[in-house]
Amino acid sequence: MKTLMLKLEPIIWGLFSGGMMVGGILLPVFVLVVGLGGGFGAVDGQALGYDRIQALATHPIGSLLLLAAMALPLWGGAHHLRHLWIDLGGLKSDGLVGALCYGVALVGSLVAILAVFRLHG
Amino acid sequence: MSQETKTFVVTRFDPDKDEVPKTQSYEIPVEGDWKILDALNYIKDEVDPTLSHRWSCRMAVCGSCGMNVNGEPKLTCKDPVSNYGDTVEVAPLSNFPVVRDLVVELEGFMEKFKAVKPWIVVAKERAVEEGTTRQSPDELADFKQFSMCINCMLCYAACPVVSNEPDFIGPAALALGHRYNQDTRDEGAPERNEIFRDEGGVFSCSFANECSEVCPKKVNPAGAIQQAKLRNVLDWAASFVVKRGGKES
Ligand code: FES
Repeated sequence: MKTLMLKLEPIIWGLFSGGMMVGGILLPVFVLVVGLGGGFGAVDGQALGYDRIQALATHPIGSLLLLAAMALPLWGGAHHLRHLWIDLGGLKSDGLVGALCYGVALVGSLVAILAVFRLHG
Repeated sequence: MSQETKTFVVTRFDPDKDEVPKTQSYEIPVEGDWKILDALNYIKDEVDPTLSHRWSCRMAVCGSCGMNVNGEPKLTCKDPVSNYGDTVEVAPLSNFPVVRDLVVELEGFMEKFKAVKPWIVVAKERAVEEGTTRQSPDELADFKQFSMCINCMLCYAACPVVSNEPDFIGPAALALGHRYNQDTRDEGAPERNEIFRDEGGVFSCSFANECSEVCPKKVNPAGAIQQAKLRNVLDWAASFVVKRGGKES
């Protein structure tokens, strides 16, 4: 497990840094615009109508962004938790904890892919 | 010059006599412009010649005077006594075996340095007749800061990963390896990246950033390591597109 994780480390770190980017920068802006902007009238309610959002979400680029917004932060969180565990002195059980963290992120990502696919259905 | 007294609580350890380190207090007069190292030298010269500590240049260049001052890794020849209250604790750097009193063992540290091949690696040595190698100011700027390290090891004392993972190559050595990877004259990146990706390499770093906080030369090892991670990700991605020649070296 440990060697596999070592081998995959560049991908995992890539997903992690992507997740930190999305979770730290894009999502707050997204929440601000969609969640608060609409409610406070700063963004035209029409612009956030069901049909438009549906069209946005089923556009290939929109779908990809949606998938990134859901899946990447999971990897960010998983990687963070694993390293927190190591920093707290859990190096011995790193294999197990790492597999658990990334496993959850993987399952979550698959669910996200499924969800995005169903939008197109 | 103003004069006052301060108490220095110094960690003492004699491997022949002591099982565990103990502390000893010295109350001494200090001058206003003294550094912590001046106080230690005063203690050794005037009060207790048995005290052992390492130093040489006294101008933040040689990197030998690193110690924990009030629990924080400091270059003692640069750290003003006036920054501290009446009592100052001086201990050896954390995360290193102690040889005696404030002197730590450097052996393992040196091995880690060698592991990253901190020299210019080229497939074929350049002949003198070929003239100088040109490098633009921008290319130099890509690694200059990372080459300012004086090997004082404060970053190893500060790093939480070093304390947890004895095999972690560590901030200074990884930053130095990255420095050579960034150098346009160097061709050793494929070899170094394999070491970087291996156990104890760049991906063991959890970016606590403590190394960059304590670095007296503003080398920013944490920044270097994150850059190295990114380079490894791109390298890994590129390896699907082009087969690399670095493997069989
Ligand atoms: S004595 Fe040389 S760096 Fe402090």
